[in-house]
Amino acid sequence: MSEPDFTVEIYQNEYLPEGGRDANAVVTVATSGTASAAPAPGADSAEIIIVDCSGSMNNPPSKIAEARAATAAAVDVIRDGVAFAVIAGTHQATAIFPPDGSLAVADPQTRESAKRAVASLRPSGGTAIGQWLWLAHRMFTSHPAQLRHAILLTDGKDEHESAEDLGTAISLCEGVFSCDCRGVGTDWEVAELRRISTALLGSVDIVPDPAGLAADFSAMMATAMGKQVADVSLRVWTPQHASIQFVKQVAPAVEDLTGRRTDSGPQVGDYPTGAWATGESRDYHLGVQIAAAGAVGQEMLAARVSLVATSPSGPEVLGQGLVKAIWTDEEALSTRIDQHVAHYTGQEELAQVIQEGLEARKQGDEDTATAKLGRAVALAHQSGNEDTAKLLAKVVDVVDVATGTVSLKKKVDDADEMALDTRSVKTVRTKKQQDK
Amino acid sequence: MTGQHRSGQAGDQLGGPAGTEEAEKGMPTCPAGHTSASSDFCDVCGMRIGAPASAQLQEPQEPRSQEPQAPAEPCPHCGATRSGRFCESCGFDFDASGGSRERTIEGVIVPPPGTGPAPQAAPAEPPPPAAPMPAMAEPVPEPGAAAPAGGDLAPAAGGPVVWTAVVTSDHDYFEDVVAAGGPDSAALRFPDYCPERRFRLAGPEMRIGRRSASQGLEPEIDLTGPPTDPGVSRMHAALIAEPDGSWTILDPGSENGTLVNGTEIAAGVRVPLHDGDRIHLGAWTAITVRAG
Repeated sequence: MSEPDFTVEIYQNEYLPEGGRDANAVVTVATSGTASAAPAPGADSAEIIIVDCSGSMNNPPSKIAEARAATAAAVDVIRDGVAFAVIAGTHQATAIFPPDGSLAVADPQTRESAKRAVASLRPSGGTAIGQWLWLAHRMFTSHPAQLRHAILLTDGKDEHESAEDLGTAISLCEGVFSCDCRGVGTDWEVAELRRISTALLGSVDIVPDPAGLAADFSAMMATAMGKQVADVSLRVWTPQHASIQFVKQVAPAVEDLTGRRTDSGPQVGDYPTGAWATGESRDYHLGVQIAAAGAVGQEMLAARVSLVATSPSGPEVLGQGLVKAIWTDEEALSTRIDQHVAHYTGQEELAQVIQEGLEARKQGDEDTATAKLGRAVALAHQSGNEDTAKLLAKVVDVVDVATGTVSLKKKVDDADEMALDTRSVKTVRTKKQQDK
Repeated sequence: MTGQHRSGQAGDQLGGPAGTEEAEKGMPTCPAGHTSASSDFCDVCGMRIGAPASAQLQEPQEPRSQEPQAPAEPCPHCGATRSGRFCESCGFDFDASGGSRERTIEGVIVPPPGTGPAPQAAPAEPPPPAAPMPAMAEPVPEPGAAAPAGGDLAPAAGGPVVWTAVVTSDHDYFEDVVAAGGPDSAALRFPDYCPERRFRLAGPEMRIGRRSASQGLEPEIDLTGPPTDPGVSRMHAALIAEPDGSWTILDPGSENGTLVNGTEIAAGVRVPLHDGDRIHLGAWTAITVRAG
């Protein structure tokens, strides 16, 4: 079978002014390989679909009908040989296929059985998402497959357990499986699902209209099926007397990994990136602060960034890049700004001001909301992030795009606001990946 | 997955760097003295691990050749004893960023005539100075050999005058500098060994200084050592070709000044040079001008 080759590229201005202590770099990780080759037969992959089956899914009844159809569509995409299961979630969790709580091996027959079980789902009861995660965790860990992925669908708030219970379940699952979360309708909480998807290295999105679920589920499952390398970490070495300011994924979406560090040796920490498919490319933004600036003309390594996979024989390095610092008194060199770093710094701010602006709006602080969302409009415009610009235009009336002059719309559709919130982290790539 | 992921950039199993010095025996040591499993940058402090120790073997072998690394050389910045390329206490770069020993030897230094290729202590090393020279610093034949008998300074018939700058260390001058008692003079040290360097003057000007990669400076007369004279500025002075074929020297305002035949020259003024003139700069550098 074909496995992807990883490449690590560093974009930075390595020149620091005299006394400069902050080294910033964008790390682009990409995989390539024989893309035409069929991915692995699936013996190492496991998938669990978790469907909200609480009473509210019956309101309107089309919701549960579309959820059933979407689950069936996702089941159809599961490749032969992949271990899979379906969980129905209420205030408790029930394995509905296979009913014994194991994982079935996908083939035409098991897929049919799964779809029959899904068709019989009847909504009733409450919502305790932590319970669903507990069961998924138990089922995944009873199986040797390493590429573990779940899809979680809900339509409501996590009402029948405490936030603490949910937190415990999330930390249990962290590093065990990845989870893409979807909220259908507008009665669910963006922050709640983001908490899960962030911890479990998945995506979060709104599916405002249940009719859109099936296509979304198929796409998510297809993406999951493409994953070939599980549990890849970004391993960052920093010199003595230097500290990491932040490690963020910045493309395809902003995800702060700074707090996710696991020390893996002296001056070395690992940050999880999850599973990778062939043909993927993600960007990371790394900030390192050096305690004492070097002398002019001095060169030092500010960070060594490796990509590490866990393999049966121990950690395996898939690629690496070097972040350097060279002190210079030449202003022309030290004041140059790397366009990748500048671009993603803007994208990170964009995500932040949107979330802060929406929060302020919710709190009734219109001045802050106007200022933040106005700044977001300007940033989205400057960086060419058109998707985000369109979403913003549903929440604010734009007076002047360049200066970010806006006024809040009086009436905003809940779905539009939630879509802006969930998708605020989506970034665009720099217009042209130019060579240094 | 069975974990056979491969990458051209893959390193060792622990996330360390790809080794570059496969022939290295034991662990490399960085300029600050840390033992490092990585051979490109130090595992502990991140300093670039300099030219491999074997580079010393390319030094021309002289009878009283000492350890070329001049172990007791003081840091001109803070005065600490040198133990590698970078000063351990202040991080001063002795090689002035980018001036690795190998490049200096292969690229610029012209060996004293008659010595021929230096004896090779390590057969594995590539032969040194016979290698190609940059156009600006060609090997210069021993003046005595081809010069007209009688030491006449007139050019050989039909041939243009060849001007040469011969760089050496001058102990008497050094003692004067120390005696003058400048702010850093206590930390100055006369180099134990300083090979003679010759530069043929060519082109519109020959800058005297030290190479700096970060500043994009590549002086034609590059005094980057070792030994490096701490009193020589990156861009210290320039020899300028005059229309009549003679040369003048200009000090644009270097930190420590320049002397011609023992007299400090004014900054920004072109001073004519003659055969045999002695230029002094830095703590111990002497440049003798030869025309003929």
